[in-house]
Amino acid sequence: MKRVEIIKGEYYDSVTLMLVAKELKKIEGVTEATLNMATEANLHIMKAAGFEVESVNASPDDLIIGIDCPGKLYDRLMEMARSYLSSPPWKDSEEPGEYTPKTLEGALSVLPGANVALISLPGRYAAAEAMKALKRGLNVMLYSDNVSLEEEIELKRYASRNELIVMGPDCGTVVINGQGLGFSNVCPVGPVGIVSASGTGLQEVMVQLARRGIGVKHGLGTGGRDIKSAVGGISSLTAVEALTSDPEISVMVFISKPPSPEVREKIVQALRSSGKPSVTCFMGESPREDEPKLKYATGLEECATLAAALLGGKDVIKAREDLINEYLKIEALGRKSEASGRFLRGLFTGGTLCYEAESIARRYLESVYGNNPLEIGMKLPDSLKPIKNSFIDYGEDEFTQGKLHPMIDPSFRSGQLRIQSEDPSVAVVLFDVVLGYGSAPDPSADVVNAIKSLERKKGPLYVAYVCGTSGDPQNLERQTGILKEAGVHVFESNAKAAIFAAAATEGRERK
Amino acid sequence: MSLKKLLKDGPKVINIGIEQFYIDHKACEVPTVRVDWKPPLADKELLGKLKKLRGGNFV
Repeated sequence: MKRVEIIKGEYYDSVTLMLVAKELKKIEGVTEATLNMATEANLHIMKAAGFEVESVNASPDDLIIGIDCPGKLYDRLMEMARSYLSSPPWKDSEEPGEYTPKTLEGALSVLPGANVALISLPGRYAAAEAMKALKRGLNVMLYSDNVSLEEEIELKRYASRNELIVMGPDCGTVVINGQGLGFSNVCPVGPVGIVSASGTGLQEVMVQLARRGIGVKHGLGTGGRDIKSAVGGISSLTAVEALTSDPEISVMVFISKPPSPEVREKIVQALRSSGKPSVTCFMGESPREDEPKLKYATGLEECATLAAALLGGKDVIKAREDLINEYLKIEALGRKSEASGRFLRGLFTGGTLCYEAESIARRYLESVYGNNPLEIGMKLPDSLKPIKNSFIDYGEDEFTQGKLHPMIDPSFRSGQLRIQSEDPSVAVVLFDVVLGYGSAPDPSADVVNAIKSLERKKGPLYVAYVCGTSGDPQNLERQTGILKEAGVHVFESNAKAAIFAAAATEGRERK
Repeated sequence: MSLKKLLKDGPKVINIGIEQFYIDHKACEVPTVRVDWKPPLADKELLGKLKKLRGGNFV
């Protein structure tokens, strides 16, 4: 029996809501429990899950609880939910005597030398807090999404006038002096400096560099819109200039989706002027001829490969050719693989990993849809009902309003993966697992539980990439092992996994 | 504090929002403090409406 209840005007952070839902789901007889701030997007998701939300009178400031359980249990569960919300049992582990200020000013009195504010509030509150931080002389890492373009421009202009930077909005990863903030992998510290308008793009290049024995000193995020003409690359150019003046940075890297032409020119010019060997990865851009000190990569692994070659004084052309040969071998393997069904579904927690995989799939497949598609006209009418070949980024705004990012709580993506795997027309399911601080403690297990609960007789071919290192809290080898044991084909890079998956699906669409 | 100084000194973080980031930074020995943030009692839109109702004298 599915029922919903509204609690008016109560704000809870998304971690608390996830933990309460997890506690409720542990009770025998509970099929589903979900707690959300009642945004339009969350109501849509709950409706798709079968909850009656059409007639509810709720605003984004209200909490909505949905429970699917036998009727006799319902009142007890609601009581439990209220009790957990008012005094969460997991809070007992907080260190006794630890003072938690309630304002930015209070925090500055506790940590007077603070130099950066990490803001991960709901979007509609985030910009105001970011401006307060800037006015107190702090740099800002703005993890929040759903921040308006006008607010972003205002914040970045203020920061620029005051020698500060706004990294974001929608910036999940930053590295300063080798220390990761937000979503970050445990990688060596070294002579590479990265500026990235793509969160998981930065993680993937750092991980690929680490696998080549190379470390990163600084990795500065800018937020994906920074490279659009409206923002004008304010944070990107500030970051490139700062890395240029750091004598310990030997190679510079710039990662983003294709910028608007005038911003692209400014970025390229700033890298040329730096005098340092540099690599750009404007993902999805057509290959360009390299310059003596500036190399153009079109993919994330290629970007790391070229940066490693530059740093080691190796032949960049040969390094690129070797990588392409590896890709060709994987493509041949994919074409030989057996799968039943016709279509590919890419189900991602990392936005840039999704983007890169989709751009690769488009080279092999006729029609590729998505919730944030590369091609105009290929947008899915409903992200919860993918069609044909589809790529879904579960970190898009539509899934994260008042909810945790799927890298922190992958359970929604896993549920969707199970639902889509039951579709007999699906031949291949491609997915990412992103490790590191900030990410879920055991993300592979979460996906494998979904795969194991499949009812379809011969399920799809599962293809995955695990973005992480041995030093990450979840451990790369352990997470990869969990997937392989469940029969998942795991590859060493996002590009390789996407090539295999697309080649395995190629030619099936018309069958 | 300028970006260049941040890069030189390393991060000292004020965390406003997801507590897990604070816990992770602490585990990595990054100097950090967490703000126990709560949303304002009235949002910008509501404050604007109240201001209008009171002829701009809402405090």
